[in-house]
Amino acid sequence: MKTYIGVMLAAALMLPAAAGAQEKKPFVEARGSVKPVPLPPGGPAPRMSDGHVDLSGNWFPGPTGKANAWSVDPDPRVPEDPVPFQPWAEAKIKAMSRVDLELSSANVTCDPVGTPGMFVDNAYMHLIDMKPGLFIHLIENNNRWRVVHTDGRPHKKPEDLEPLFNGDETAHWEGDTLVIDSISIDERTSIRDGWFHSDQLHVIERLRRPSKNYLEYQFTVEDPKVLTKPWTSAWRVHSLANEDLTENFCTRNENVEQLKKLNEQQKSGKK
Amino acid sequence: MKVTLATIIYLLIGLPSAPAFAHHAFAVEFDAKNCSDIKGILTKVSYENPHAYIFVDAKNAAGEVVPSTFQLSSTSNLKRGGATYAAMNASVGKEVLVRGCASRNGEDNRYAASFVKLADGTIQRVGQDVEGIFGNKIWR
Repeated sequence: MKTYIGVMLAAALMLPAAAGAQEKKPFVEARGSVKPVPLPPGGPAPRMSDGHVDLSGNWFPGPTGKANAWSVDPDPRVPEDPVPFQPWAEAKIKAMSRVDLELSSANVTCDPVGTPGMFVDNAYMHLIDMKPGLFIHLIENNNRWRVVHTDGRPHKKPEDLEPLFNGDETAHWEGDTLVIDSISIDERTSIRDGWFHSDQLHVIERLRRPSKNYLEYQFTVEDPKVLTKPWTSAWRVHSLANEDLTENFCTRNENVEQLKKLNEQQKSGKK
Repeated sequence: MKVTLATIIYLLIGLPSAPAFAHHAFAVEFDAKNCSDIKGILTKVSYENPHAYIFVDAKNAAGEVVPSTFQLSSTSNLKRGGATYAAMNASVGKEVLVRGCASRNGEDNRYAASFVKLADGTIQRVGQDVEGIFGNKIWR
């Protein structure tokens, strides 16, 4: 084990050295480029009349309270366990080209991102509105939404379930953490990077607000037909925005056609 | 605690990033090693999603007009970055300079743009910087 940790530390220490060896490019003071500055905690999280934490607010992914698409610094990478795919599923994903992976993303095809895609496959702003017993979630990305009861009601009876992009959703509180439980999720959704799922997908999302300016999100995936065991993400940070949602309908998507053309060229050996 | 080689490799190269990706990975569709500066007259701004587009009449070495298409970011990112519809349209009919990376599928004169020097001299961020350099001195 000591050897393993030694190798890991050595490898980790090499990273900054390698990065430092690269030429440092001058920064262009272009309008729109963002230098990231994390928000302060901002005080305690607000609470609703029933005493539960109020998650309401407009939230950007990342810590700056701003859109970070054009950040001049790469986003910090969050350590997570490898996804425990069954061997056949891993082989299927590894056989996909980069273009295949792109075309498997609802974010590229403009299909509904579903659950957990509303958080996991979404770089744009969220608007969360809460009242006792209800979680209302709007996302700017293609103007999607979902509404979930937070009173811990059971899922629909199995005979009443139908495949839905966001699934059959119910939520309850575990202390100050809102837990959203989703089943019966349409198999046309994917989780990320080619990670497809079966009709047995069960997603457990957790949301908490450690302070006024920060929202944290974590999700667990159970899928006995695709994974060898459940997998849980790291906690992902979102921060409070002082901006409104913008209209963002996907009305002119040329990327699918362009990527298919590229895929045909690559598979026929022309590229 | 068992740390395997697979874990080490995963930690080094396979970490999921924080959710700061755009609509999709531009570098798959566009060639970050085939980028150039294209100067010409901005003829049209198409402000749509998932990407906006600008159209530029450039000139080739023979002086012939070459209509060129540049894919920009989403309207949400553009607005938040100052590239509003009005700001972009103010340069229509005027000369602009665009940093564009060519489409990988060989489609003629189709690029992803990272920066535009607008008619008033403003250097405007308009897309993902597939070159990974956030611009360089040729933009000065």
